[in-house]
Amino acid sequence: MVVHPVLLIAIPLIAAFIIPLAKKYGSAIAAGAMAFNMGYAIGMFSYIYSNGKIYEMIAGFKPPVGIFLAVDALSAMLALLINLFAFINFIAIGKEWNYKFSMLYLLAIAGSTGIVLTGDIFNMFVFFEITAVASYALIAGKKDEKAIEGAIKYMVLGSIASIFILMGIALIYSQLKTLNIYDIATRISSMDEKIKWASFALLLTGIGVEAEIFPLNGWVPAAYQGASSGVASLLSFGPSKAAIYAIARIMMVIFPFHATYEIALYVGVVTLVIGELAAFMQEDVKRMLAYSSIGQMGLILIAFSLASQNIQNALIAAFFLIISHASAKSSLFLLSRSPSMGGAACKYTGIVGVLSIIGMPPLAGFWGKWYLMLAAINEKLWLVIMLVFFAGIVEAGYFARYLHKSMGNESKLNLRYKVAMVVMVSFTILLGLLPIAYKMASLPLWGW
Amino acid sequence: MNYALVTPCYIAVAALLSIGLYGVVSKRNLMKIFISLSIMETGVNLLLITIGYVPEGTAPIENANFTKYVDPLPQALVLTAIVIGLSVTALAIAMLISYYEKKGSLEYKGGMKW
Repeated sequence: MVVHPVLLIAIPLIAAFIIPLAKKYGSAIAAGAMAFNMGYAIGMFSYIYSNGKIYEMIAGFKPPVGIFLAVDALSAMLALLINLFAFINFIAIGKEWNYKFSMLYLLAIAGSTGIVLTGDIFNMFVFFEITAVASYALIAGKKDEKAIEGAIKYMVLGSIASIFILMGIALIYSQLKTLNIYDIATRISSMDEKIKWASFALLLTGIGVEAEIFPLNGWVPAAYQGASSGVASLLSFGPSKAAIYAIARIMMVIFPFHATYEIALYVGVVTLVIGELAAFMQEDVKRMLAYSSIGQMGLILIAFSLASQNIQNALIAAFFLIISHASAKSSLFLLSRSPSMGGAACKYTGIVGVLSIIGMPPLAGFWGKWYLMLAAINEKLWLVIMLVFFAGIVEAGYFARYLHKSMGNESKLNLRYKVAMVVMVSFTILLGLLPIAYKMASLPLWGW
Repeated sequence: MNYALVTPCYIAVAALLSIGLYGVVSKRNLMKIFISLSIMETGVNLLLITIGYVPEGTAPIENANFTKYVDPLPQALVLTAIVIGLSVTALAIAMLISYYEKKGSLEYKGGMKW
């Protein structure tokens, strides 16, 4: 096999452990590791796009005994997204950080990539913990009162979450004596009915904390508000996206039942509506963006939960919503470092980001909502459609207020921030043009 | 299956988990909350060990004299979980120190504000 996905996890981990030995060159080593990861993720994605899924056995043990990585098109795309944005985000913030931050940043990236790529449920738990511990420390890194309070809140909820995930894994193991996701999936019907549902509930609750799903997201506003804008940006494209993908993977591979999709749909709708309404009531910009993130995570969960009937539309919707939210919200968090957003670069970022999240054509957010609607109409979920439209209107309301309030004075952001913001937010335009290009070339969008 | 040994273990798991959860929910002192979280973690670790237990099994070491041994995988999982728990606890205590320096108390006043 030519492509080794394990390098995407191994290289940042090794770099993170080298950094304390070469403190002076900390950010250079981190940037190098991330540049490698970005290139490798692009290569892996194009390889998978043309050749299909790859499985990599670690240390040569065959599954179900050995740990293995299972990479399909969606996980390769998410690995690419996380590593690409990690590199761009690091351009903005890397220089003002000391070596400890570069190290933690690399650990968070390695963990999120691992969650996305792994095919072993315990391995997923370990990567969740790596990501979570690195994020706690990163949030607390600003060292003021709010940052530490946010980090402690996240830590208490995150520790409970990790206990729940581990308990769910223990229950599955007690019945099936295996940890391999695909092995579990083939034998799930032989599990005791009660234990099966208990383990699903435990896993959903545990991962739901990381994925910012209502009612498990009490930590989100405090953590995003307390964190510096670079870290908030990392949280919104890295760990939360990996966690929502982990939920989707567990739901679609291990528990592909009607009831699980229905639970996810209800949870997603409630998260969307409550997140958007809470965002509408916020005064602080970062808090508003955090609640808006909660709403968007609900929308992504709705997209995944429609995959039982029309997998194609639902997964395209999830793809575009994830891209749109990651690029727009990360750049808006970088923008929120300065209270005003005068100047061409800042205005461009703010307006494009906001329009993509609201869902204006031809940006990526529009295609996400468009395919979500197509999937929902197929299933005749009229109430869900109405609530998604309602949430969009609420979004438009508070984002209009946000734009109105912050236009004006010249922004004090330096050049690196501006470059990173503009590059990040441009992905929504680029990917928004993708479906149109495909249509004009009359290629199927579902290429894999 | 010999339930004489396994049942008390499951009772202990339930007790540890509920004591821990009670502590997390009811206490306001952050140190007590993290102690309760450690208790819960111990409960889950005990659950994993109990799942892997085989009646009259010995330690999973390859030896001609041992034919019946307990499931080694949960032990490896617990080892990993213990290390993770340790690192989280260490980080928590470091954060509590700076929280105490800022606020002069470990009592948590604010709720989960929306």
